[in-house]
Amino acid sequence: MTVLFAIVIALAAVSSLGVVLSRQTIYSALSLVLTVSMLAVLFLLLNAQFLFAVQLIIYAGAVMVLFVFIVALLSPDAEDRPVFDVRAIIGTLGVIVVTALVFVAARNGITYSTNGFHALAAGSAGNPYHSFSFPPDAVNNAGNVQTLASQLFTNYLLPFEITSMLLLVAAIGAVYLTRRSSQ
Amino acid sequence: MLNPNLFPFLLGLSAFLFSVGAMGVLIRRNPIVVFMCIELMLNAANVALVAYGRFLNSEEGQIFALMVIVVAAAEVVVGLALITQIFRLGRELDVDDLSEMKE
Repeated sequence: MTVLFAIVIALAAVSSLGVVLSRQTIYSALSLVLTVSMLAVLFLLLNAQFLFAVQLIIYAGAVMVLFVFIVALLSPDAEDRPVFDVRAIIGTLGVIVVTALVFVAARNGITYSTNGFHALAAGSAGNPYHSFSFPPDAVNNAGNVQTLASQLFTNYLLPFEITSMLLLVAAIGAVYLTRRSSQ
Repeated sequence: MLNPNLFPFLLGLSAFLFSVGAMGVLIRRNPIVVFMCIELMLNAANVALVAYGRFLNSEEGQIFALMVIVVAAAEVVVGLALITQIFRLGRELDVDDLSEMKE
């Protein structure tokens, strides 16, 4: 299980770098397919079976096919800029700093309560995972498709309906934008 | 069974994907790649939402992640329609040249 998590996290991280660093647009698109597929596996490992299916169908299926279509249709040129200019160096430093900060914060148990955010001094926590220290057999039986649907169609019915309106608006907008002007 | 020590690695992956996506938006000039990087950032948010939902034993994380996926799909449809229109106008696909939406 932990080995599987390690493989999935490593593949997702490496393929996300491929999205940014590839010169050819089609390689970026294919790297993004690998990234979203790995995130789908991660959702499955995290007991989110419905999101696993949604991620594969919508992202790896619909959205990425749309991207590959557009890349094939427009066939953009490869970028001819140098890879290591100032922006790339600053961006790399930013990636390293942000990732390290979030990782250290989560490891040292910065947590939120009604009193606000509070943190233990780094390395001094007896149990650094105190905010998530429930017994392992109590870990989430929630999150399967049935409980998700019961929440989605009761407490979260209004946002669910609003997303359907959003999809309708997006479809109409896309048809309007791509229509040939008749002049 | 799920190991609680895994949680920092999931949040770290989320932060890494988000910052890589942000870096891509800043350094790439091709609008198609910029859209892919925005997708990467939305996926990073999904990872954090699902991980928190799993470790805090609630469904809300997954529900919000579902909403994020729907919004991302709608955004891609409109964005790629805009890119095809820009291409049809004969403009070069470069966000530096497209900093104004006017003709």
